[in-house]
Amino acid sequence: MPNDLILSRRAFLIGCSIAASPLLTPVTFAAAPGENRLVVIILRGAMDGLDVVRPLGDPAYAALRPTLAADAATNPRLNDFWALHPAAAGLMPMWQAGHLGFAHAVATPYRQGRSHFVGQDALENGTGGADGTQTPSHDGWLNRALFLMPGARADTAVSVGQQRLLVLDGAHETDHWFPVSESPLSDQGQNLLAAVNAADPLFAQPFAEAQHLVRNLKGTQIPNGPNLPYRQLGSYVAERLMGPSRIASFSFGGWDTHRQQDRTMTEQLTNLTDVLLAMQEGLGRAWNSTLVLAMTEFGRTARENGTVGTDHGTGGMAVLAGGALKGGQVFGKWPGLGDGNLLQDRDLMPTADVRSYPAWALRAMFGVDAGGLQSTVFPGLDMGSDPGILL
Amino acid sequence: MEAPSLIEEIRFGYGPRAGTSLSPGGLEPERLLAQLTAPDDSAAVWSRPPLAVRFALQEQYKAEKMAADLLTGKQGKTAKAVKPPKVPEIATSAEMTKTPQMNAGADMAKTAEMAMTPDMHKGSPLMPRADDPSLTLGQRLKQMQFGDVESYIGRPAVTAVAFVERLVNMWSNRISISNASNNVGNFLQSFRDDAIRPNIAGRYADMLKAALWHPAMQVYLTQTDSIGPDSVVGKAKGKGLNENLAREFLELHSMGHGYTQTDVTEFAKLLSGMINDTNGARVVPRRAEPGKKKILGVTYGEGMNEINRLVENVAHRQETADAVAFFMARHFIADVPPPDLVQALSATYLKNDTELVPVYRTLLQHPSASDTNLQKVRAPHEYAVATLRLMGLNGLEQNMTGFPKDSLHVPAAMARMGQPPYRALRPDGWPEVADGWMTPPMMAARVDWAIDIARATGDRVEPAAMVDFALGDMATPLLQHAVAGAEQRWEGLAVLIASPEFSRR
Repeated sequence: MPNDLILSRRAFLIGCSIAASPLLTPVTFAAAPGENRLVVIILRGAMDGLDVVRPLGDPAYAALRPTLAADAATNPRLNDFWALHPAAAGLMPMWQAGHLGFAHAVATPYRQGRSHFVGQDALENGTGGADGTQTPSHDGWLNRALFLMPGARADTAVSVGQQRLLVLDGAHETDHWFPVSESPLSDQGQNLLAAVNAADPLFAQPFAEAQHLVRNLKGTQIPNGPNLPYRQLGSYVAERLMGPSRIASFSFGGWDTHRQQDRTMTEQLTNLTDVLLAMQEGLGRAWNSTLVLAMTEFGRTARENGTVGTDHGTGGMAVLAGGALKGGQVFGKWPGLGDGNLLQDRDLMPTADVRSYPAWALRAMFGVDAGGLQSTVFPGLDMGSDPGILL
Repeated sequence: MEAPSLIEEIRFGYGPRAGTSLSPGGLEPERLLAQLTAPDDSAAVWSRPPLAVRFALQEQYKAEKMAADLLTGKQGKTAKAVKPPKVPEIATSAEMTKTPQMNAGADMAKTAEMAMTPDMHKGSPLMPRADDPSLTLGQRLKQMQFGDVESYIGRPAVTAVAFVERLVNMWSNRISISNASNNVGNFLQSFRDDAIRPNIAGRYADMLKAALWHPAMQVYLTQTDSIGPDSVVGKAKGKGLNENLAREFLELHSMGHGYTQTDVTEFAKLLSGMINDTNGARVVPRRAEPGKKKILGVTYGEGMNEINRLVENVAHRQETADAVAFFMARHFIADVPPPDLVQALSATYLKNDTELVPVYRTLLQHPSASDTNLQKVRAPHEYAVATLRLMGLNGLEQNMTGFPKDSLHVPAAMARMGQPPYRALRPDGWPEVADGWMTPPMMAARVDWAIDIARATGDRVEPAAMVDFALGDMATPLLQHAVAGAEQRWEGLAVLIASPEFSRR
């Protein structure tokens, strides 16, 4: 999509209230985006895929992880080759139902460095640049995809959480959801405040969206901090997806496990399990047409480090869940961990571009065409053959 | 000391404080720079316990806990009996509850709670009872942390030398540590006071050294257990490196780019064995990687002096100068700062052996510094403090009708606006650009705060005069009209505080 289109749209939309502005183009209202649902989770901090889904069948694994994988014998087994970290055992029923899968040895195109911040931006921007340089639009791939999605509306996609989420940020209108409190201002006070904020180009839209949020959240419990407990977060996401939203995204941090990894990982996986189960429960039958895709900026070193943790690496892992998934399998080509198989003798060698997973999902679930996916949404991506993640 | 002008207070301070006078006219660089050496009355009331006191309290706490554990024979149980159960500790890595350092996102619920305990001001005023012998040591440590946060909010709210506080906060965000991983809480304030504050008018190289050697930084970026694999301890126990601090020092604190993975790994070797505890800062030879390390083309040996030599060398690099210059220009002037300003700052920095005062002078002399077009959006801390100053408050007032228990709960409000005090979510600190503070929930929280403050205080003010005091000529006619047109005084004040103009600096 040409940049000038984005800019003109952005200019056009300034000042519109977010949900149902009559100023939106007719095509925006053309059709509902169907019943499929996609949840994109950004796992911040670089999740150690080798610890979450453990290649016990790889003969080199045990020596690389003498402490972290010491309990391998008792790990929940996914199959002959793979085992799950014990803290994620609560997901075993989901795996057995075929509603859980993993894509191992994946990475973004960003390979020239191991910076969290460049890596996360690259993951969310969807860039093809090896140095992590963003597309000129500096927006999120999921936002760009909305323009190519038949029937996408302003309320089709929602980011859940207090903070800005780059993956959904951009020229296409999206919803933003987080519990806030009601305003005690009089109508006149509201109007005056709206007027002074509407006059400032930087404040006009966020203020309007904040007002929208306040109006639509009556009776919701206000959290006492910037984040929601994970079960609650999962339920809220499901709630949004049971309304008009079909795409939801949120951030899930805390994966940077440089030391005493087991403690952190146990807590993180407990929370991940909670959020997935809460979404499954909240979505009810709609879970069957849902795909959850949790991706991280990069993986971690194949060897544990000197402080029973792992340092920044390259090849990582994505978590896939949902009734729409052809689950119960670990996707991708396993590069092996033996001598000569590691990248720079330290990292899991990536064998696939992690972007191909959301690309195939957007194509199958929302009719985004492959040409646009490989040029606009994920520049430079070669989608390759269908990894067959969906039923 | 001569009073600052309005633009000096807004762009380089936290806005004007009720009850104080302003100098007429625009910005005068030397008047602002004089704040760096002026007597600071806020120090007497708001200073916090130094590092040695914190070490001592913690050592006492550990000893008390150990003795109690021995008596009961039930490890950990006693800690629960003496409330509160989880007092963060430092340099005792085995007790760290959570490793990282990289906590962006939705997982911070628990850690944020602590900063927002609703009755944290119970028993205030100030400097709660860190020295109250009737409390357990655990309680005293917790009180000390509450007092730290109170001073983070109250000191800039009352100070006459607000530029000093802005600089302390800017550099503490450039070289950031955070209590979000719940393990440096007892020492975070000391990082600001002992590593950053003494160096804001000194050399950046010295600030980098002080930061790198501060125990809180070493714990925060998981340096404390990094052991050279070929060191005595490394070989005996099969231990090894942890690259975290080495990487973030190069990426976040100094250069930003221009180094390789090899540089990071070699630097991690150079840092292995470094420690700063009750026995002082040093390198423990048994834990340090022996031999030469080639980092950014320079060869280093072992020990503290070699680490400091590396910091000096890195501080003097062009990449570091550019990164520091960009950070400062973006912090004070605009999210996209004028390139000529960045260039000028960088050149001044290198020409002056990383001295910061000349760099401030270059900044203050640039035309953008005195421009009355306010381009930056105040971070929640700056916004909350600006509000307190406008109303002549310090955050600890106990008679705020409409607030829970009549107390302001500024930390909780800041958290809702996106900035729980001392709990930056990522090792690169808080957002330095408007984007990070303008999500709908954060905006809603800003408006909420404005309304709550206005309702508690606004029946005593003349809103139109407040606009004039807060913004002078920088208030738009629309804002003046809106404030004057409100039904009640407090609503007029709410419109002012929740206006874009008041959120800018």
